[in-house]
Amino acid sequence: MKPIAIRSGGAASWAIRLVVTALLVYLAFWIPTSASNGVIDTCITALTLMAAAMALNLLLGYTGQISIGHSAFFGIGAYATGILVSRYGWSPFQTFAVAFVVAFVVGALVSLPALRIKGVYLALVTLALALVFPQMIKWPKLVWLTGGARGLDNTGFKFTKDNPTYEIFGWNPWGSLRGENVKPFHYWIAMVIVVIVYLACRGVVKSRAGRSLVAIRDNETAAAVMGVNLAGTKALAFGLSAALCSLPGCLSAIRTGNVTPDSTNLTVQGSITFLIVMVVGGAGSLWGPIVGSVLFVFITERTGDWSDPDAIPGLLRPLFSWSSTPPGTGIFAIILIVLMFVAPFGIVGMWRRFQARFVVVVPRPAGTGTITEPVAAPAEA
Amino acid sequence: MELFLQRLFDGLSQGSVYALIALGLVIIYRGTGHLNFAQGEMALFCTYVVYQLGEWGFPIGIALPIGMLVGFALGAVTEVTLIRPIAKKSAFAVFIVTLGLFQFLNWLDGAIWADQPLPNSGVGSNQQSFPSLFPNKPDDFVTIFGAAIRLQSIGVFLLVLVLFGLLYLLFNFTKLGLSMNAVASNAESAKLVGIRTNLVLMTSWGLAAAIGAVGGVVFAGINSNVNLSLMFGVFIYASAAATLGGFDSPGGAVLGGLIIGVIENLAAGYFPKWVGQEMKVGVALMVILVVLLVKPSGLFGTAKVERV
Repeated sequence: MKPIAIRSGGAASWAIRLVVTALLVYLAFWIPTSASNGVIDTCITALTLMAAAMALNLLLGYTGQISIGHSAFFGIGAYATGILVSRYGWSPFQTFAVAFVVAFVVGALVSLPALRIKGVYLALVTLALALVFPQMIKWPKLVWLTGGARGLDNTGFKFTKDNPTYEIFGWNPWGSLRGENVKPFHYWIAMVIVVIVYLACRGVVKSRAGRSLVAIRDNETAAAVMGVNLAGTKALAFGLSAALCSLPGCLSAIRTGNVTPDSTNLTVQGSITFLIVMVVGGAGSLWGPIVGSVLFVFITERTGDWSDPDAIPGLLRPLFSWSSTPPGTGIFAIILIVLMFVAPFGIVGMWRRFQARFVVVVPRPAGTGTITEPVAAPAEA
Repeated sequence: MELFLQRLFDGLSQGSVYALIALGLVIIYRGTGHLNFAQGEMALFCTYVVYQLGEWGFPIGIALPIGMLVGFALGAVTEVTLIRPIAKKSAFAVFIVTLGLFQFLNWLDGAIWADQPLPNSGVGSNQQSFPSLFPNKPDDFVTIFGAAIRLQSIGVFLLVLVLFGLLYLLFNFTKLGLSMNAVASNAESAKLVGIRTNLVLMTSWGLAAAIGAVGGVVFAGINSNVNLSLMFGVFIYASAAATLGGFDSPGGAVLGGLIIGVIENLAAGYFPKWVGQEMKVGVALMVILVVLLVKPSGLFGTAKVERV
């Protein structure tokens, strides 16, 4: 069968984009208004992971710099919000900007050794960074600020009176924003963060800066020869990736109302989760982290109660009933290893290969606004 | 002086554990040029196996060799089934696979032995504490210049020296060791002179995991229990050790491990306010950073010449 050709920027391509966007927007509004609190909570977890994985993708997927240290940047966000809200009484919304700036500076500083250290060695340095961060929080010299191993309390919003509901002609599309610790409220914060991080990544990737990131990933020497400013571009990639990763960190502090140095996303385990989620979804593609984190959260949620053998679906029962530990992490690790063999570019890469059999997207010719018929090349003598 | 000696020996015995894990890292790196992120978790799995054998009544003298055999099999199977086929694709793929293995092994340990320090009388363990290879009762120490040095510390240190001596003999005087050296220096030429490189690489991975198993068991003995996060810290110290010694030098790895152990303990002991128990891992980070920035090949490693 001959695949159907679709022109990029043509009517068919716009129609597909519109339909997909409409479906996503519908889903985004359906969850907080109609789903149960448990589902909303799971979605916030997925959105948090999504934003962190997207930020990491900018650095690892596009620039090719391995980082197992993003839990530290996530933690910087969480602690910026935690300290400013609980110690200095800021409003949580104001703390996002501070977290962004602090994480950007720290990230740019980490990029300095990255100018000389490459590949797995950089992974080692960042791994050490991830291990140092929780220890630094517990450091006696900093306990006055960070609260040490006990962490900080009251880092979320304080709902003293009823919040406004923002109804539109008596219809409330946002879900219940009233009361204390309401889930839809946190859901919308998470959604805004994900959209911001997505747009930032998209903006960078599709621009001149993004092309230089990819050039550095594919061949650093060649990129330098072509005039890419290695130091500046790497500092930008590290800084932006760290800064974006701190935003979901802020959310995590707001959402749970406390921060402790040993919560999962702030330790090495968090870094590894971000990385694995991103690679399974598809490194170096904008949709990869989204797909990966949804799959990860789906699997961990679905298998969360499998410590009880009766909860396991029939066919899988003999495989997993021997253990009382939920098998989510193990299953995802196996998926990761298998994917590296069959589809190194993750689920999104696999989907693109599959889709290419049926639909081919013809890109717009570069440098022209309108599509013209290609001129036949003169036959060589 | 007494305090200094005590800290020195504590450092040496901890450094010995780092040296063992670092030796595993170096053996693998020499053979294939990959950094095995699952090294610590492979060792942890073997340590759990040794614990289980102890539960079944095996003395540590028999349980440890069985644990090493399990480690050897685990390493060899990993190389043949996962690393060798994926290495043809890219170095990044190998990194991700070892990371996946890290995650998988840690989950597997948790699934079999549950997330708790073992031995644990709460779940009916027969053993009081993790079996130690050396006498480890409260009065098992010797006094040197007024410092009480535990027999365990001395034993662990000697064990590493003996193991390193054996490895030295293996690398320099046996056919297997010489072919490992040949593969390390040039895999293609080694193949051409008739060395079965696949077999050699498989053995290297097995050997690395088996040595790691010793490291895990020794560390669990010092720690007197085994738990899921036992090897996280050890792994980073071991990589610091391998970086310091040079990633392709076994002797460097041992020396690096001992140096890191001593530095870490002296820093924590003499600067309790600034370093203390919390920022020990910061010392490892600093060592890795400084070595990689100043002398990327480490103390004894060969500098890599890159062609562009």
